[in-house]
Amino acid sequence: MRITKQARREAKQLFRAAVVNGVLDDTRARKVVQLLLEKKPRGYLAVLTHFQRLLQLDIERRSARIESAQPLSAENQATVKQNLSGVYGQGLTYAFTDSPALIGGLRIKVGSDVYDGTVRGRLDRLQDSF
Amino acid sequence: MKTLLEEIEAQIEGAKSTPAKVNVGTVREIGDGVARIEGLTDCMANEMVDFGSGVFGLALNLEETEVGCIILGDYSKIHEGQEVRTTGRLLSVPVGMSLLGRVVDSLGQPLDGKGPIKSETFYPVEKIAPGIIRRKSVSQPVQTGIMAVDAMIPIGRGQRELIIGDRSTGKTTLGIDTIIVSAPAADTATNQYLAPFGGASMGEWFMDNGMDALIIYDDLSKHAVAYRQVSLVLKRPSGREAYPGDVFYLHSRLLERAARTSEKYGNGSLTALPIIETQLGDVSAYIPTNVISITDGQIYLETDLFYQGVRPAISVGLSVSRVGAAAQVKAMKQVAGRVKLDLAQFRELAAFAQFGSDLDPQTQAKIERGKRIVEIFKQPQYNPIALEIQVSVLWGAQNGYFDDVPVEKVKDFQNKLSEYLTSRKGDLMKRVAKEQTISDALANDLKAAVVEFKQTYSTK
Repeated sequence: MRITKQARREAKQLFRAAVVNGVLDDTRARKVVQLLLEKKPRGYLAVLTHFQRLLQLDIERRSARIESAQPLSAENQATVKQNLSGVYGQGLTYAFTDSPALIGGLRIKVGSDVYDGTVRGRLDRLQDSF
Repeated sequence: MKTLLEEIEAQIEGAKSTPAKVNVGTVREIGDGVARIEGLTDCMANEMVDFGSGVFGLALNLEETEVGCIILGDYSKIHEGQEVRTTGRLLSVPVGMSLLGRVVDSLGQPLDGKGPIKSETFYPVEKIAPGIIRRKSVSQPVQTGIMAVDAMIPIGRGQRELIIGDRSTGKTTLGIDTIIVSAPAADTATNQYLAPFGGASMGEWFMDNGMDALIIYDDLSKHAVAYRQVSLVLKRPSGREAYPGDVFYLHSRLLERAARTSEKYGNGSLTALPIIETQLGDVSAYIPTNVISITDGQIYLETDLFYQGVRPAISVGLSVSRVGAAAQVKAMKQVAGRVKLDLAQFRELAAFAQFGSDLDPQTQAKIERGKRIVEIFKQPQYNPIALEIQVSVLWGAQNGYFDDVPVEKVKDFQNKLSEYLTSRKGDLMKRVAKEQTISDALANDLKAAVVEFKQTYSTK
């Protein structure tokens, strides 16, 4: 489906309407989708598709993925959360995963920022430097 | 001993590695040497991005959610969903003396198989041209060794002189006949787009270090085509002849980097000779007019002249050098001052003379003189002529010593005269080269030499 400039613009306006105090409001977003599907304005599918993409990008921007070699204790998780919200502000969603392949340390990805303190990452960098 | 160990241990303890923050994105689309990347929120314009395994890209388009990159090198290994990271570096090329005599690609990697280039200095490919404070007027000549250029279209150090003409009119020949600098050649559109900028950076190093560098861009019409290709794949809006709107800026920022710096800033120079290919002699096409307006003059090569045997096929009427005259040697100015006018008049009269048969003796003389000057300016490839010989020959022509030589013999006469002057009148030639003006005494000696030669020539 071709998404026209007009559709992009409209989707962006709707997206702005769903944001309260710089944070996306879930109920508003749901309402937007509901209204679009009910009223079916011209090119609503294109608008909806772009709206979905904008939402997806926003969610990615506000989600923190924390990978660790071993499962983190609740205490450690709280520390990480506190530190991250200090840097990126409130409204982050956190996902903790553990992957033994990292050998040790933490790998944190928030939006497109990556903090890599894992042993694996350091080994990879060492390998790249040769 | 123990304290030393403890100290080291303490230092290791202190040197805690803090995980570095990197900005990453994912490849959304890849093809035609261009990648569109989602993420990379901190990416800067013209920044290098790392695709991993030694492949780098250059961020050209910064959009709301995406970044458009051109890829340097092999893009076949890059796939959708791959992670890309910013580097915070600008694209740079190695510069310095170790590049002399080498053939490199647009990123400064050797192509000639003479081993790696040992250079510790790197210059960014895109560099802001020197400002007015660092500059100085063009005051020293570039001796090209091509008589028609040195006499009529003089080029100064730090000048930008365009060489323009149709295909196969000798543009490249004129270029490489001048000085031996080989521009890096590359295959992909990305590399073709970057090559002149890399070359300019390498030339700038010589300028910054007080040396005189000459750079030949062969050719900028192909460069514009490569840039058009990259821009269209990046989905930038296109304008006239489908070139992007900033194609003028592309060439102007490149040619602006040619400069003559003042004594305080090293007293170096970078002379640029861009080459443009025209279609059927159409100088009013988009790219030719752009580059003509950027440069300080042009040498226009004509197909008709080329096939008439006038080589280099320089069209005197359309060629001009706007700043070079200030840099011309005085002796050359003395003898060549009227040559351009004489030739222009000759062209006009020659066209006129085809209609009427009876011409007054003055016009006849002008036509005869013109024919001989055209002959004198013919010059084979890779055959530079020393300044003093150029001056002496032109002096002879201006003072009527060529007038009684038959036109078809003029070239022979000129060659033998040059030979005679070099081998028999070395001292006189040294004086011409040293004094750089033709004083009355020098003129008398030149006269004596030419007359002496004419006697031996006519007896043959």
